[in-house]
This record gives sequence, structure tokens and C-alpha cells, in this order.
Amino acid sequence: MLKYFISLVACLSVCMSLQAQQDSIPSTDSLAVKQKYGLRVGIDASKIVRSFLETDYSAIELNADYRLTYRLYIAAEIGNEERTTSTDYLNSTANGTYLKAGVDYNMYNNWAGMENMVYSGFRLGISKFDQTLNSYTIYDTNSPTWGQTEVLEGKEFTGLSAAWLELVFGLKAEILNNFFVGLNIQLKGRLSETQPDNFENIYIPGFGRTFDSGNFGFGFGYNVSYLIPLIKKAKK
Amino acid sequence: MKQFVCLFLIVIFSCEKDDICPSTTQTTPQLVIEFYDLAAPDETLAVPGLFAFGLDSDGLEVPIINEIVTTRSSISLPLKTDGILTEFKLYKSYDVIDGVPSGNPDTIKITYDIENIYVSRACGYKTIFDIQAFAITTDADQWMISSDISIYKITNENDIHVKIFH
Repeated sequence: MLKYFISLVACLSVCMSLQAQQDSIPSTDSLAVKQKYGLRVGIDASKIVRSFLETDYSAIELNADYRLTYRLYIAAEIGNEERTTSTDYLNSTANGTYLKAGVDYNMYNNWAGMENMVYSGFRLGISKFDQTLNSYTIYDTNSPTWGQTEVLEGKEFTGLSAAWLELVFGLKAEILNNFFVGLNIQLKGRLSETQPDNFENIYIPGFGRTFDSGNFGFGFGYNVSYLIPLIKKAKK
Repeated sequence: MKQFVCLFLIVIFSCEKDDICPSTTQTTPQLVIEFYDLAAPDETLAVPGLFAFGLDSDGLEVPIINEIVTTRSSISLPLKTDGILTEFKLYKSYDVIDGVPSGNPDTIKITYDIENIYVSRACGYKTIFDIQAFAITTDADQWMISSDISIYKITNENDIHVKIFH
């Protein structure tokens, strides 16, 4: 529940800061205003917060983007995620590293002097991970006769991998000079995966939980980042 | 646009997991036995007042879920999923008069290998069995005369796994 609240607060704060800039007075000659180009590096704060709050979750993600043109950025994320999933009949842990790379396109028309983003983009993601089956219960509707059988022996499936494409929608707002907060949602479609023998990928680090009904997935991020300005250029 | 993104985000992460095992999912299969006429081995022959108990490791009777006394020519019996041996006591003409059970009990013993097969995240695993041996315990008043394993691999309940002649 807390993560929804965090998302909500993050949403509102970014929405408000974007709203606030509309009150500022535009420069008479916006073409002359130079914008900062550089490398922006950051972390996903939501993953850190969740790692502290949730006992079955631990993750860290670093992200970076580099501004190519007035609207186009190349962007990448690298991270590590460990997640334990528990249902009525089984308990498993996925642990692994992922890399996502792609581009972001800024759709927002900033007032002069502002460098906020409302963006859309895509990523290609890959993940290398292990899955441990911690325990499972035999599904047997006739079990009242002999009692349920729970198998506790852990079984590890190593060397698993997956690849997917992501559509990203997000916001980034400069709240202090060169200091940005942002949030994004990701819609994912799995391209390929190696399935463990006599089991399946319940959770894929970087991709998130899988669904029985298809290859899709969802994710979100709440980023805190710092822009290292390298050059300044006016809009062409 | 901004408001839309915010709403969208909240909706997505409010979705709860759909991790409930549907009752229509194929479960761990039971052993299916069909009774045949000893005199005409191609024809099934119903057993009057058939009733079964499981036998635990001390030889004590364990009631089987949903088991009722009926005249029928086949019976489904749940095998233990935590072992490789299950015994049942099958009564012919079972009746209970003033708390005293009557009828002709015969004991069967099934030994098997087990294999746990992944079903789904919601249902976990089910067990399938590979019959190694099927035996009718000999007694003075035996009503089950002989048996024949027709399908060794118990993967579903649509097959007849064992034929018993009486």
C-alpha cells in the first residue's frame, strides 16, 4: 500500500512543480536562451525505499541519460533486484542483474530557462538471473484423506535470462539547479526468456512479475538525478 | 496529460495479484480401479456394497474423503504423495449394524514412484505416479481373486489403471 502512496505523492509533487513554471514570465526572445546539455545520472529512489520497507524485496537501480538534441536523449538503467514471491502453493525467489538501454523523447515545450521533461521513450532490456524454488505444496484436492504434502527442499535454477521491450512514459522536473526528480511508468513486452525445467519464471529482475495470460509486464520508477552540464546550446 | 499519467500510474499498481488456484485445474490424479468378472474377463462386474478405507502405517483404517457405500464397478483411490506405498482395505457388502461393521474386507497394496510436475504459480505442483507393484493380500475369505495393471503411469483419472477380477 505504501508504494502506491509514495507514487501518489511523487506524482503530485512533480505535477505541481511543472504547473508552477507556467506562472513564470517568458523571455521575449526564447531562441536566444541556451539550454544545458550533459550527462544526467541518478538512482531509483522507490527501489531503495521498498528495499527497506519490504522484507521480500531488495533492489538498486542506477540510471543515466545523455542529451543528444533539443528533444532526444539516450538513456540507460542498470540494476539488481531480488524478489521473493509467495502464493498458497509455492514460494520462490528471483535474483539477478539487468540492463536497459534506449531513448527518451521530450514532448514538453518548456518556458525559457526551464528544462523539465514530459517524455516518452523505449528501452531494450536484458536480464541475467537465478530462481530458487524455496518450497511448494502438492496440489491435491483429495488431500484431506492423507494430509497435504509440503516439499521444503530448495531447488535452484541458475543461468536464466530474458529480453524485453519497454515503452516508457515519464516526467522529470528540475527542482534545484541541475537536480531533478522524476517518475515514470513502463509497459513491457517480453521478447524471449529461458524457462527453468519443470518450473517457470515467476519474477524477472528488471522486468517484474510475469503473468499467466501473456508476455506483458508493468513497472514504475521514481528517480532522483543530477545533471552534469557539459555544454550549453540554444534551440535551433 | 499530466493528470492522466498520474491516474494511470495509480490504476496499474492497484491491481491485485490473480494468484488463486482455479478449482477446475487438474489435480493430483487418483488411482482408478475397475472390477471385472472372473468368469468373463472382458466384462465389468459391479461389487455390491463396495466401500474403501485407507490404511495408515500402523494398519489403522483412515476414512477416504467423499467415499460412500455403493454398488459399483469402479473406484478412485487417493495415493499418498509423501511416500511410495499406499494400502487400502476394500469391503464387499459393507454395512454397519449397531456400530459394528460387517462385510468382507480385502487389502490391496500399491507401490509406486512419484514425480512432481509443475502446474502453475497459483497451484504449485501436482504428483503423478508410476506403479511399480500392485498386490492383493491373501486371506482365507478373499473376494478379489486376481489383478492386472493396465496402465502403469497415473497421470489422469480418465484411464483405468488397474483391473481386478472377482
